[in-house]
Amino acid sequence: MITLEQKQFAQIKEMASHYDRLLVLGCQTCSAMSFAGGEREVKELASMIRMERKISGKPGDILEDAIARQCDPELVDLIGDKVRGCDAVLSLACGAGVQMLAERFPDKMILPGCNTTFLGVTEELGVWSERCAGCGDCILDKTAGLCPIARCSKQLLNGPCGGSVNGKCEISKDVDCVWQLIIDRLARLNRLEMLEEIFPVKDWSPAGHGGPRKMIIEDLKS
Amino acid sequence: MTRNEPSTEIEYAPCKLACPILTDAREYIQLIAERRFEEALTAIMSQNPLPRTCGRICTHPCEQVCKRGQVDEPVAIAALKRFAADGPWKDRLRQVLPKASSGHKVAVVGSGPSGLAAAHDLALLGHTVTVLEKLPIAGGMMAVGIPSYRLPRDVLEADIRTIEDLGVEVKTGVTFGNDVTVESLTGDGYQAIFLGTGLHLSRRLNVEGEDLPGVLKGVDFLRDVALGKPVTLDASVIVVGGGNVAIDVARTALRVGARDVLMVCLEKQEEMPAAESEIEEAREEGVAVVNCFGPKRFLENSGRLSGIEFKSCTCVFDEKGAFCPQYDENELTAMDADTVIVAIGQAADLSFAEKDGLTVTRRGGLEADPITLQTPIAGVFAGGDVISGPATVTKAIAAGKRAAVSIDFYLRGESIPRSEPAIADQVASLPPGVIERTRQFARSKIAGLPVEQRLSSFSEVGPPFSEDLATKEALRCLHCYLGARVNKEKCISCLTCLRVCPLQVPTVSKVGEITIDPFVCQACGMCALECPVQAIEISLDPGGEIAREVEKAIASSQHLERLIVGFFDLHGNFAKKDLKGLREDYPNVLPVMTFGLRRIDRSDILKAFECGADAVFLAGCPPNRDPFPEAGDRIKRRTAHARTQLEAVGLDGRRLEIFDMPDEGLVEKGSITELIQRIKEMEPSPLRVRR
Repeated sequence: MITLEQKQFAQIKEMASHYDRLLVLGCQTCSAMSFAGGEREVKELASMIRMERKISGKPGDILEDAIARQCDPELVDLIGDKVRGCDAVLSLACGAGVQMLAERFPDKMILPGCNTTFLGVTEELGVWSERCAGCGDCILDKTAGLCPIARCSKQLLNGPCGGSVNGKCEISKDVDCVWQLIIDRLARLNRLEMLEEIFPVKDWSPAGHGGPRKMIIEDLKS
Repeated sequence: MTRNEPSTEIEYAPCKLACPILTDAREYIQLIAERRFEEALTAIMSQNPLPRTCGRICTHPCEQVCKRGQVDEPVAIAALKRFAADGPWKDRLRQVLPKASSGHKVAVVGSGPSGLAAAHDLALLGHTVTVLEKLPIAGGMMAVGIPSYRLPRDVLEADIRTIEDLGVEVKTGVTFGNDVTVESLTGDGYQAIFLGTGLHLSRRLNVEGEDLPGVLKGVDFLRDVALGKPVTLDASVIVVGGGNVAIDVARTALRVGARDVLMVCLEKQEEMPAAESEIEEAREEGVAVVNCFGPKRFLENSGRLSGIEFKSCTCVFDEKGAFCPQYDENELTAMDADTVIVAIGQAADLSFAEKDGLTVTRRGGLEADPITLQTPIAGVFAGGDVISGPATVTKAIAAGKRAAVSIDFYLRGESIPRSEPAIADQVASLPPGVIERTRQFARSKIAGLPVEQRLSSFSEVGPPFSEDLATKEALRCLHCYLGARVNKEKCISCLTCLRVCPLQVPTVSKVGEITIDPFVCQACGMCALECPVQAIEISLDPGGEIAREVEKAIASSQHLERLIVGFFDLHGNFAKKDLKGLREDYPNVLPVMTFGLRRIDRSDILKAFECGADAVFLAGCPPNRDPFPEAGDRIKRRTAHARTQLEAVGLDGRRLEIFDMPDEGLVEKGSITELIQRIKEMEPSPLRVRR
C-alpha cells in the first residue's frame, strides 16, 4: 500500500486560510488505511478547522465528504457538484489523488492535506514501514526477498558497508542493516554463494530518472 | 445458531428465542444497566402482562441458554425482571391505554395466566373483556397452586389490578357450565369466548386405600391452604411425587404444622422433574427426599391411614424416554405416616364440556387447534394447561397472547394466521478462544430468608436484588446480536477490526471479506470506532449517537455560565441517586453515559468543544469492573492525541481530562473540583455561542 501521513495542522490551517468555503475530501483506500484521510479523519479535521476558524474569527463553511479513491477520474467526477460549490478542496489523498482532482477541476484550487510517504507494509496496527522504492527494475530474486534500494540507507547494491554494526545501520540503532538481513536470510536458505555475484551499476532510468513515467497496456487501452 | 426454521435473517438472542413469549430480555437488562429502571419496566410490560409474577416464578428458560453461561454463569435474568417490576417506580408508570373501543365483547373463562394474558392483550386491542373465575379469588393456579412464599398474594393482585386498570372486568365466583354457558354468554352479547380453565383436579394413583381419611390430594391441599381454609397437619407427612407441585406441597406442609415431611418419588435424584433449586430449598427447610419408590397400597389402622407401602421402582422411562415405570414387586417397604399427600399430576375438570358441546381429547383436555387455539365451536377458543397439559406460567401466558391475536382476527372477520412461533432448539457455542478472553464476572447472589423465618410463615423466600446488585448483574450481559455489523459496501478490508478486537472475533477471507459473527461479538465497540472508513455499526449504540447526545446536552444547558461534558462509563459502581447528586452538586457537569470509554472517539471529544464546552472529561470505571481493561491504555493515548488536536486549534489542552471513577460513586471530589477550578481560571470557551 501507499502510506500517507496528515500534514501538521498549522500547515493545513495556513494553506486553507485563503478560502472561505472549503471541502475536506477523504480518500477511502490507501489514505484511510494509513489513518491519514479516511472518513474518520475527515470528520476530525473538519471539526478542528471549524473550531480554529471560529476562535480566530474567520468566516466560511467547512464541508465534508469522502470517495473510494481520488486517483480515478470516474470516482472523482462523482463529487463534481460539491467541488464546484466550494472555493477550494482540501484533499486527504496521496499526491496522485490531489493531482487527479486538479486535472478534473481545472478552475478549482486543490490543497494537499497529506504527505505521501512510501510504499510499505503494515507491521501491526498503527505501525508501517517502507519496503519498495518503485525503482522499476525489481531485484528481489537476487537479494533473498529483501530490498536494498528501499531499505539500505545508501541504496548499496553490494553491501554491507562499514557502517553496519551488530546488524544495525549506522544512521540509527532503530534501523536494521538490510544487508545483514540479506546475508542472514541467504544463510538460512543455504544460498550464501549468491553473494559472490557482483551487481553491475544500476540503470536508474526505469526509476524515473529518465523523466516522468507512464505505463501503457496496449490491448487494454481504448 | 440452529433453529427449527431457516430464519437466517432473524437474529434473536438466545434468551429471546427460549422465552415462550419471546421476551427481549436484552432490552430491559440494558435499561437496568443504564439505571433507567422505569423504562426497563415499560419495556417488560410491553411484552409481559404479569411482570411481577413472572419475575418470581418464571422457570427462566432464558437463563439456560444465556451466552454468559458459556463463560461463567448465566445472567440472573429472572431476578432482574423482578427488580425492574418491583421498584417504587412501578407506581409512577402509566399504562398504555387501549385503543378506541372496537365494540366487541369477549368473555374469558378462568383468571389464570392464559386467561389474564388474553384479557390484557384483547383489552389493548380495544375489545371489552370480562374475566369469569370460578374460585372466590382471581389468579388461577398462581393464586391457589403456587404457595405465597414463592409468589406473595399482593404481588399477584398488583399484576391483576394493572390488567383491570385497562378496563378488564374480573368476576369471581362464577362457574362456567353452571352459572354461565356458551349459549348464555352469546346471548349476553359476547362475540368470542376464551377458555383457560386450567388443571385443577389431582390425578389419582388408583391403588388400594386411596380414599382413606388422611390421604389428601396435592392440588386440593394447596388450594385449601391458599383459600385460608383450616388445614392443619399432624406430625408425619409423606408426599408422593417428584415434581414442582410435590415440592410446593411438601414445603407448604411444613408451614401448616407438619413435623416431618418425606417426599417419595419414582425417579432417581437426577431424574426428578422438579427444578433443582426448588429441591435444594426444600431440603434446606428440612424436607427429606427418598427416590426410586412407587406406592403399592395405603395402610390402614382402625379405619384411618397409618402409612403407605412402596414397591421398589427399577426404571421410570423407556428407551425412547417415555414415562413407563418398571417395579420390583418383591421388594416392598412400608413407611408410617399420619398424612399422605398425593401430588403426581393434575387433570382438567371438564364437567362443563359436555353440556356446551365441547370435545374432550383422549388425554382429558379440550380439543383445539394447537396454533390458532380455535375449538370446533365457532367463536370459542381455548388455551393454557387445559390444552397443553401441565406447563409453566409463561407457556400459559404465551397461549393467552396467541389466543388474543386469533380472537382479534376472528372478531374483525379475517382469517386467522397460522404462523408457528419460533422455538430455539440449540444455541451456538462460543469459540474456546473467545471464552478464554472474555472476562469473568461472578453472578450476583443474595441469601434468601433464614430457614427458621421461612417455616414460621408464608413470607417470600426469594430475596430481591438491591439496585447495586441489579445494575452489576445487568452489566454482565454480553449483548448477543447487538454488536458489530460490517457494511460490506464500505469495507476496504483494511483489517483494523481484526487487529483491534480484544476477543479476536472478526475473520477475513482470501479475498479480503470481513466476517464478524453477531452472536459471538460482545459489542465492545472498539472496531466500529477505529474503522477508518466507518464501515462498522454497533447496534448497542449506533454511530453518531454519542455525538448527538453531547449536542443535545449542551443545547439544553445554555443558561449555565460554564459547561463541562463528562463521559461516564456505565460499568462504574454508582447508583441512580449518584446521577441526581452529580446534577445537584455540579450543575455545570453534563453527564453522557456510555457502555465503556472505549466508545468515545476523538471526534466526540472535539464535537463537545465545537459545541461550546469549556471542558471535557472522561471518567473510566474502576479496573475491577471493566470488561475490557486492556483497552485502558489505548483510551489514554487517544485522549492525549485529542489534547494535541485542541492545542493545534488554539484551545488549552488542560481543558481535557481523563480520570478513573472512584470505587463507589461517579466522581472523585478532588479531581472534579480541581478541574472546575482550573476552568474558572481560564477564559470561557471562545467557541460558545452566547445567546
